[in-house]
Amino acid sequence: MNRLHPRIRIIWSAQAAISAVVVALLVLAVDRFAFDLPAWVPPAVFVVFLVGGVGLALARYRVWRYEVREDALYLERGVFTRVQTVVPFVRIQHVDSSRGPLERIAGLASTVVYTAGSRGADVTVPGLTPAGADDLRERLKRLAIRAEGEDAV
Amino acid sequence: MSRTLSPLSVPYRVVERGGSIVFTALILFSGASAAFGPAGGLVGVALVGLVLLLLVGYEVAYYCRFEYDLGGDTLDIRSGVISQRNREIPLRRIQNVDISRNVVQRFLGVAAVDFETAGGSETEASLRFVDFEEAKRLQGEIRRLKRDGTDAESDAATEPTRPDELFALSPRELALVGALSFDVRIPGLLFVLVSGGVPAVSSVVPEGAGTALVAVGLVAAAVALVLVSWLGGAAVAVLNYYDFRLTRIGDELQYERGLLRRYDGSIPLDKVQTLTVVDDPLKRYFGYASLRIETAGYAPGRGAGGSEAAVPLASRDRVFDLAGRIESFGTPTFERPPKRVRRRYTVRYLLALGAVVAVLSAADLLTAGGLPWPPYAPVPFALLAPLAAHLKWRHRGYWLGDHHVVTRNGFLRRRIKVVPYYRVQTVIDSRTLFQRRWDVATVTADTAGSLSIGGADAAAVDVDEAVADDLRTALTTRLRESLAEQRGWVGDGTAVENGDVDP
Repeated sequence: MNRLHPRIRIIWSAQAAISAVVVALLVLAVDRFAFDLPAWVPPAVFVVFLVGGVGLALARYRVWRYEVREDALYLERGVFTRVQTVVPFVRIQHVDSSRGPLERIAGLASTVVYTAGSRGADVTVPGLTPAGADDLRERLKRLAIRAEGEDAV
Repeated sequence: MSRTLSPLSVPYRVVERGGSIVFTALILFSGASAAFGPAGGLVGVALVGLVLLLLVGYEVAYYCRFEYDLGGDTLDIRSGVISQRNREIPLRRIQNVDISRNVVQRFLGVAAVDFETAGGSETEASLRFVDFEEAKRLQGEIRRLKRDGTDAESDAATEPTRPDELFALSPRELALVGALSFDVRIPGLLFVLVSGGVPAVSSVVPEGAGTALVAVGLVAAAVALVLVSWLGGAAVAVLNYYDFRLTRIGDELQYERGLLRRYDGSIPLDKVQTLTVVDDPLKRYFGYASLRIETAGYAPGRGAGGSEAAVPLASRDRVFDLAGRIESFGTPTFERPPKRVRRRYTVRYLLALGAVVAVLSAADLLTAGGLPWPPYAPVPFALLAPLAAHLKWRHRGYWLGDHHVVTRNGFLRRRIKVVPYYRVQTVIDSRTLFQRRWDVATVTADTAGSLSIGGADAAAVDVDEAVADDLRTALTTRLRESLAEQRGWVGDGTAVENGDVDP
């Protein structure tokens, strides 16, 4: 079982910080334009969301696992709802590797696997090194071709 | 050889579109003539005439520039007045060919044809309008070309096209569809609405009228509401399913239905993703059920309210017989979740009840006792929680057949889903915080069907964690084996033609 790159914690924490800022700004706006809240409320909201988000990010990192098995890609994730997904290679429609702005700053990348399914239609493996993401993409592509998923639906 | 639309489609489309233009124009210009006198009215009439002329011109041009051509292995459509569009659809990718005709179209002998593929959420191509015979010819030709294209050497061309009627809705069943299309959840909803309306009504009724009169009025109103919603549902069901029949031609299913608007559709059997048998307590009591047939990316006629490529109602035996002829899955013997989940459901219902009481209490506090009933009124329902939990547990289950996985969920609306192993896309095992406390998990077999977007995938809900682990492995293994069998592979990567080579 592979774990994600440890630096993914920084990305997820940064995302948590950004959303904490947004929430705090919203509270600030409410404070300004609607109700008068005590002065400590917006910073407290920021701290609560930041701590919660970072905690969640760390927990998520601890749970996340993936593995390229003999005939399927296997993922395990989720802090509250633990989800294990099995994506058989035969079912892979196409594979992307992608790098978002935060990922580029942190020097990471993700691989996205698409199937024709209705709910697990795209499966993302985050927290890979750029080379690792490209490798995974190529490997999955080869495996998918070998498994010959021609008539996918 | 390319063909054009039916010439009758020009006047029909002009009337269809022009009608609304004339109507809005009438309203607008009656105002204008009132303001500017008769001159304003004249200008208005001239303008409307001009618009209509343009419309006629457009429709004639549309008719002239619309060409389609069914040949070889694609359906080519060239269309468009201002920007021309050429579209080629590989016949193998066409999943459904749907023909619909409303009353006027039936009188004129024309029909609208829609072609659906698995990709995209909208109709890939539609012909507005062609002769009905031409529509049927297209349906048949596409079926023939697809078969010959995929299986050229088989001698199927000689025998199949004889239609084999799988199912026809008898008038008795149609009446039952109407009668049973009543939703069991409606009375509960109405109860809430009606009892919520008590203060409003009682403020209207004069003071001295007496509670008995009010009560009688309320009951009458409730009965009337139920009756109206029931009759409405029945009318819609009868209009939709009048003269419903399902036939099998070669490897395609065809359905026909409808009283005022007639639908004719085709579903290739090899595109069927899941079968769903749906029933509710009422239908179960009388021994009836309905069946839905789901294909990838699209469920026929969804826009017109639900998937109509389905048997609306038939006796349970007939439904399972029919389902068995489409996918021979045998007789499922369901494995229920462990008994402890009943306690979980009881707790869940009690918590929900507690939340309702809490909300009601809060509302009561805020409105200073303005609620028609005391906030703790729902508490007696707590006695029903264990029963409800038991029923929920009783109607859950999963079964692994030789070639299919079958799941069963829901009490008020029970769905039995049949998924062939080779249709499984991904296997998802999820365990919420609460499920982990009870050591249970939910295993979902995701398919490419489209009804599932509503969250009703084939899922073994609340099975034991160990069972979930086994199920996950079993589903993926059987998917692989079943696919290998389906595609005629033996062993790893060695292709064997049609499987008729000695092993």
